[in-house]
This record gives sequence, structure tokens and C-alpha cells, in this order.
Amino acid sequence: MKITAKTAALILPLFFLVGILSTMAAGYWATESSKTPVKYETGEFAGEYNPADIRGSYSFGDIENVFGIPVDSLARAFGFTGEEDPSAIQAKLFEEVYGIVDGKEVGTDSLRYFVALYLGLPYEPDEETALPQPALSVLKKEAALSEETLAEVESRLVSLETVRLETDAVAETEHEEALDTTIKGKTTFADLYTWGLTEDQVRQGLGGLEPGARGTAVRDYCTEAGIEFSTVKTALQEMVDNL
Amino acid sequence: MKKNRLRKTVQIFFLVFIALIAVNHTLAETGAAIPLIGNASLHAVCPFGGVVSLYQLITAGTFVKKAHESNLVLMLIVFASALLLGPLFCGWVCPFGTVQELVSKLGRKLFKKKFNRFIPYSFDRYLRFLRYALLAWVVFMTARSGQLVFANVDPYYALFQFWTGEVAVSGFIALGVTLALSLFVERPFCKYACPYGAVLGLFNLIRIIPLKRNSSSCISCKKCDRACPMNIPLSGAGSVRNHQCIACFECTSTDGVCPVPGTLEFRTGSFEKSAKTGEAE
Repeated sequence: MKITAKTAALILPLFFLVGILSTMAAGYWATESSKTPVKYETGEFAGEYNPADIRGSYSFGDIENVFGIPVDSLARAFGFTGEEDPSAIQAKLFEEVYGIVDGKEVGTDSLRYFVALYLGLPYEPDEETALPQPALSVLKKEAALSEETLAEVESRLVSLETVRLETDAVAETEHEEALDTTIKGKTTFADLYTWGLTEDQVRQGLGGLEPGARGTAVRDYCTEAGIEFSTVKTALQEMVDNL
Repeated sequence: MKKNRLRKTVQIFFLVFIALIAVNHTLAETGAAIPLIGNASLHAVCPFGGVVSLYQLITAGTFVKKAHESNLVLMLIVFASALLLGPLFCGWVCPFGTVQELVSKLGRKLFKKKFNRFIPYSFDRYLRFLRYALLAWVVFMTARSGQLVFANVDPYYALFQFWTGEVAVSGFIALGVTLALSLFVERPFCKYACPYGAVLGLFNLIRIIPLKRNSSSCISCKKCDRACPMNIPLSGAGSVRNHQCIACFECTSTDGVCPVPGTLEFRTGSFEKSAKTGEAE
């Protein structure tokens, strides 16, 4: 038997077509997680869903459907009580919202750990896995944890307040930078206009020269024009301060 | 259609198809998916995901993160075709192989006959085993971590996901290096680094329909040697079972450069027997 390129060109597309269609028909073909975790196969918990198989794409709603933990409890534990639809919150969002806090990580593994604790299922979280503070209150109220387990949970707690403070600090810095009207090396002509100077005032500060493009830094403009930045800066700063 | 255009057509089809799926996956996340085009993730349509998931699938019954049943199905389909003819997937389907070939067109114009001949084969043949070391590392690390670790250094992933913000810097570096090397060497990633190519390459050793050379009709013009993108010395072989063959048909007398009919073919049985029964022509 001899195979030509024409036959070769048909083989893989044909195999793909037959293979994919037949597995689709058999209900096996899947390109995304089924949101049904695997079950423990042996031991005391054989037949129960294994939280170790929870993926980042699992939402609180999926967890409620599979593990029976109410969305409200999950939302409280992970600090999403203010959300409009907490059932749609996915585990992968944790990394974005919390990420690394005090060297510990609140991520998908935190949800696996929480579910295991809540249901009393065996699970070994990663070393750096953490839980947000409210998770402990939820677990204390709704799960039956031993003193030993509670102590382990406490060693893995991070305060949501810390996250908020860090987030607020960043926002505060950005806000302060926006409010700061001191002319610096990176100050652009656009900044001057935003602070309230008119084009005429800027021209005056430049000693009668035509102002540069809005995105140009004043210092770069001065260097190019061969004029003293410090002189221009003093003149413009005085005008800005008098606004 | 010209003979040598057939493979290019199939390659371009799959390149465009995969690019569309990758883009559509992003669009689907914003609710703007193009209808009738699949929107699976790039991971979900990669047959290599099946290979790296095997360990976890056997030991824990689960797929590694971001791999799904589709990966296993595609892996089996590609394995079936490879068992028949060798790495057809590499030569005809793999979009990244196609991209490297497209860049290499420029390299061929720049360096003419020197292109793809920079490294002596006696030395180069050993470098080709690098991809097996990489394969072993990827399989081991994936089994250990349960995650698709190769994505961080995978130039294919970097190329088809560069707009998502999910590509690691190492991925972009791998992509840049591969594309730059493609100006000098045909399919550098396939030759030296592709772990999936390494797996499929092994099928060359056992494929049911091998590439065979008829030594009695061969005129030793060595056109096949020069046409082979993988630099396999075909003109001295009998049955070609080189682990680097990508079943591209560029060397054959049926569809490639071999000027003597019935001399270099993918076939079963002997040339002599076929000549007697009149099959060869």
C-alpha cells in the first residue's frame, strides 16, 4: 500500500472529525471543567466529593450545588457579603482581590481548605495557604472543629483589614500624587493646564516662548529650548500657587 | 492544486482555526464571542495536555489544572495517526510549526543554500535529543505540581495568548528566540525543544506505514536530503525510521522533490513486489 500527500492530508482532519464527534455523542468530550469534582475512591470518605479537585473556575454557587455549603456562608467567610450576586464569585477571584497577604496566599487552595474544614473532609493545604479572618467565625459557628484543627486554622488566618489597609494605602498615595501641584521633572504641560493655568500664563512662564505639546515634560522642553528649567519652574510654580 | 501546496493549505487552515479559537475564547469572556467558532481555551485544544495529564489521570483520576477530557481525546487521535504514518500532526497541523516555516521563508531568501545548514549534522544529531530531556522535565514537573508548567516557557502559548496578560516573560523570551532562530534553521523549536514532538517522534520507530527508499532506482541526487526540513540524511537510508521525521512528504517521489518515480514513498511492502504487480506507478 502506498500513501500519497492527498491521503495524508485527509487522515488527521478525518480522525479529528470522527474522534471528536464520536466522543461528543458519547458525552465524553469536554473543553472545560464540569464543575463536578472527583470523589474519594477509598477510605472512610469513599464516594464523597473531594475538595482537592476544586478549580479556580468554581463559583460559590458551584460549591453550594456540589458540597452543600450555603453561598451566604462562603460569601461571609471570604468577605464578599456586599456583592450583588455572591453565587457567581469564582475562586480564581481571590488571588486578584487578596493575593499574598503577610507572606500567605488567599487563593483557590483556600477555598479547598475551607470546604474540607467545613465538611470535616481530609485535605492537606499548601504551606502558604491562608484563610481570611471571617472564615474562622463561620467555621466556629457552622462546623464542628477540634481544638487542634482550630489552632491550625488560626495559624493560617490573615486579616481582611490588612488587605483593605494596603489597598487604601495605595489608593491614598495615588490620590495624594494627583493632588500634589508641585512642578517636578516629570510634570507635563497637560498637568499645568489641569491645575488651572492658561496657555497664556504658561507662555509667560516660559519667557514668551510657545508652550510645548500637552504630553511633553516641561523640563524636557526647557532642555530642548536651551532655557533654565529652574527659572521656568519658579515662575510657573508661583502662578500655580496663586491659583 | 500544486502538489506541494496541499500541505501548506492544510497547515494554514489549522493555523487560522486555532488562532480564531484563541481569540474567540477571549471574546467569550467579555460576552462577545463569534458564533459558530469554538471558544475553548488554548489549553483545552492542545493534545499535549493529554500527555502531561496522564500521570495524574492514572494515579488520581483527575486532569491537571486547565486540562480536560478534550486533551485526552485529541492526544489519542494524534497518537492513532502517528501510529499509522508518524508525526503527521507536526508536519501538517501544528500551528507553531507552520509559523516557524513561514518565518523560515525569509531566512531561506536571506541565506540561500546556507539556510538550515549552519550546524554540521554530525554534531546536530545529538542536539536533537535535547527535546527528550525537556519532555522528561515537563512530565515530571507537571506530575509533581498538578499544573501545566510548560505554559510558562511555551512559545506556542505565548504566540496565541500574547494579548491576555497570562503569558510569562519567559514565554515571550522563548517565542522571540524561536522566531529569531527560524531565520537560520528550519523549525528550531521542533528540532531541539518541542516535548510533544519528542513524544510523536518516537512513533517513527514503530509507524505502520514507513517512508521507504528504493535503493535500486535511487540515482543518489540527494535532492531529498536538501529538501528535508529536519535535515535527515535520507539518501543513504532504506526504511526511514529517524525520530525527527515529521511526515511532511517534501522528499517523496509521489509529492515531493524525488525525481524518480517509485523511489521514496510512504508505503508498506517492498518496491520489487509492487513493481511486479504494477502498484508502484
